[in-house]
Amino acid sequence: MSIFNSIKFFILVVFICILQHCAPSRYVKPLEKTQSAVAFSFGGPLIKFSGAPIPIPFSTLGYGYGLTDNVTVYGNLHSTSLLFANAQADLGATLHLYKKQNVFGITASPALQLAYNIRNQTGFRMWPSLDLNSYFHFNKKPSYVYGGINSWLELSKLRAHGDTQQRHLIPNLQIGYVIVKTKWQHQFECKYLGIGIPNLPGVVDYIGLARKGTFGIYYSLIRKF
Amino acid sequence: MKNYAAIFFIVFASSCLKLDSNLYNNDNKIKEYKFDAYTGEQDFILDASYDITSGKITLFTLASQAASESKATSIKALYLGDINTINSDTVILYCHGNKWHMDFYWQRAKLLAHVNGKHRYGVMMMDYRGYGLSEGKPSETGMYADVNACMQWLKEKGLTSERLVIYGFSLGSAPATELSANSAVLAPAKLILEAPFGSAAIMVQDASQLNMPADYFTDLKIDNAEEIKKVKAPFLWLHGLNDNFLNYKTHGEIIYKNYGGSSKSKFMVEGADHGEVPAKMGFDKYLGVLGGFIRN
Repeated sequence: MSIFNSIKFFILVVFICILQHCAPSRYVKPLEKTQSAVAFSFGGPLIKFSGAPIPIPFSTLGYGYGLTDNVTVYGNLHSTSLLFANAQADLGATLHLYKKQNVFGITASPALQLAYNIRNQTGFRMWPSLDLNSYFHFNKKPSYVYGGINSWLELSKLRAHGDTQQRHLIPNLQIGYVIVKTKWQHQFECKYLGIGIPNLPGVVDYIGLARKGTFGIYYSLIRKF
Repeated sequence: MKNYAAIFFIVFASSCLKLDSNLYNNDNKIKEYKFDAYTGEQDFILDASYDITSGKITLFTLASQAASESKATSIKALYLGDINTINSDTVILYCHGNKWHMDFYWQRAKLLAHVNGKHRYGVMMMDYRGYGLSEGKPSETGMYADVNACMQWLKEKGLTSERLVIYGFSLGSAPATELSANSAVLAPAKLILEAPFGSAAIMVQDASQLNMPADYFTDLKIDNAEEIKKVKAPFLWLHGLNDNFLNYKTHGEIIYKNYGGSSKSKFMVEGADHGEVPAKMGFDKYLGVLGGFIRN
């Protein structure tokens, strides 16, 4: 069917496709005041590889700090992108919009996604993004489940060759579970990426719904200090 | 500390990964060309009425050397027609796509040998370096050099620019457009692009949905959307409306729109995915459209 279609070439497109999908939600629930944390995340969209679904293994390393009990600021470096000489980072904050102590809360995480090609020293780009999540503690236990929406914004009016940029909002849905220990947290997340966006061109066998979007799975390990 | 950081980034900048080598989907595992006897995957298989007349198939080797290279690379080429009449024939130079080798594209070459009648025109195609039995590794400059080597061979056999039609399919649209825009050996009189590749930037942005620079991932310079502005030769664009790989809107339309000449035509094929244009169009209709374009 596709002349370009090959295992080797799919890698090229996959890497492009998931640059913006390579991390789970950051600090769904803010840290405590003056608390800091380092985080390592791993995961990406699910694709079919030799008939079996696998996540693309993208990784980030980051740091977060609790400014107050309700506001955590964070920054993350996208380590896989660095291998391609692209310095990519996200800088943001998680804010409590509502909370009922140890039961329920709603948070927002506005962030800036920054990227720059180190080798060519060109192509600085910035995309704002926003996560809105709500979390629930069952039986007031420290661990919690959460769900929400994440959106990336493309502000540019034009794309290559002066064509009009048709899509300005890339929405994603997520649900997750965070196992909270005294110093450690394990975060598991499933995303539905690119809601309503056709997952074509069909070089990659994404696992989506009705050929739209794709599912992604992620894991984060967080160490609090 | 600053020094360590600087060293870290210099190492990254000098040794970082690029995905360019992953672009080429070449198969060089075959031991021989089998053409009609080839049983691997093909887009379509023609019936016996399209068989090539005995004695009109010539497989040979060419030396291809880019200006930046110190030595030539040996590539394989195929000519369908009578070599002795190249000095008076019209020739279609077919630049194949990214997949595999000339065995895969044999049926397409046979089909082109029937434009405006069996063997009305000569047909030439080659395996780019690294493809099929051609030596070397695939590269963008190498691909242009390989097509130029074919033009040089045709020129030495007596072909002139006004009798050369160049046809680029998919990845082959890059050398076809490049050598129509910046002709060195011969200047093709007509350009046909089927399911063309717009540019690396379009590929990246289609995939990411964002206005993301191509050089985040590739050093590929293929930019048919810009090169086509220099092309003055009459231009025919064929594209499947269901092309799920190189979208006709994002890749094809910008090429058609940017064409710099005064004679262009297009044929959009309902229901055709990438590689399906001749079959979905119907061979007679396909040959008719090409025949009309070349004849006029």
